[in-house]
Amino acid sequence: LKCSFYYIFMHFMVYALRPSNFRSYRLSSDRSRAQQIVPCTVSQLMSAVQAEDVFKVGEVEIAQVTIVGVIRNTDKSTINIQYKVDDMTAAPMDVKQWIDTEDMGVDNSVIPPGSYVKVSGNLRSFQNNRSLVAFSVRVLEDMNEVTSHMLEVVNAHMQQSKPQSMMGGGAGTSMMPTAHASMSSTGSYSGASMMLVNGLSANQNQVLSLIKSCHEPQGISMQDLKQKLSSMSVTVIRQIVDFLSNEGHIFSTIDEDHFRSTDNEA
Amino acid sequence: MTGVYESPKTRINAAMLAQYIGRPVCFVGRLEKVHPSGKALTLSDGEGKSASVELNDPLDEELSGIVEVIGMVSNKGTIMAVSYAQYREDKISFDLELYNEGLKVLHDFPQHYPFEVSLSG
Repeated sequence: LKCSFYYIFMHFMVYALRPSNFRSYRLSSDRSRAQQIVPCTVSQLMSAVQAEDVFKVGEVEIAQVTIVGVIRNTDKSTINIQYKVDDMTAAPMDVKQWIDTEDMGVDNSVIPPGSYVKVSGNLRSFQNNRSLVAFSVRVLEDMNEVTSHMLEVVNAHMQQSKPQSMMGGGAGTSMMPTAHASMSSTGSYSGASMMLVNGLSANQNQVLSLIKSCHEPQGISMQDLKQKLSSMSVTVIRQIVDFLSNEGHIFSTIDEDHFRSTDNEA
Repeated sequence: MTGVYESPKTRINAAMLAQYIGRPVCFVGRLEKVHPSGKALTLSDGEGKSASVELNDPLDEELSGIVEVIGMVSNKGTIMAVSYAQYREDKISFDLELYNEGLKVLHDFPQHYPFEVSLSG
């Protein structure tokens, strides 16, 4: 019985990893992000731009971070434990954990190489060398945390790169015709299953456009949609229509097979 | 092959093997078969597709369940492993299908999960 928090969280994340769904999670300012703990990859930490005391990964300011990886190396002295943690995105990262000699409640035993851990700490740069000063190094008991961390990283960094005007109500989102900033900066990656424009995929936008283009009071019928979208199966059209309805872009009218856009003023 | 540890090792599934020939990868899959010689394994990914793994030295331990392999992809599309490790499932079982979905998200958003270090000023 998979009742762990992470399992439920991840199912939610995988199918809901669309910008429009996470409006409520956005912070009100970039500055407050630095006080949050941000899930990252080692590659992001190594690539972060440093301006005085502030590190930035793209638009995201980072200070306290988490990484998930496997311990490759350990080195213990009387005052600290040093690990090299490999999360597959770059060379293993230096992680330093101070030993609290007075606090008997803290476990100061060295975690062996080969163990998967979640590290929480602060990013430091000293003489061009980046490392993490950890306040927590925890062995993973549930390997699904590897998957959840992957999704959390993408989610955390995706939110901050959305254009500001994406915040606000659904009506505002659906009127944005342009791809959001992070998409255009990397050019196209054709064949990607999630080519997002205003939070919707190409297929979803196609269906929505057709629904919007119909100005009949009862809206467009499933029959018409099927006819016009000859490349999409009925199952796919139905899935898309259900999604658009759940998102508030459309609603059904005289029956379950007629739809209108919530944006239509007519 | 210590160079592989120091490089980014892109997480891939079997369908992506052909695109990663000659490159270091990290493959997580279910152990299906061990060759009698102990020097080759077959793993299946979250989509049920198989990957062949070749080891330098014969397996000297009992492996089962979910295995993570790191290595280079050969011209034949097999993974030449430099290391392998079993994912613990003593407390909670690993959802390989969900991992596969997560992996696809990583590939859909490489700008938010880079398998490379970009040198900045």
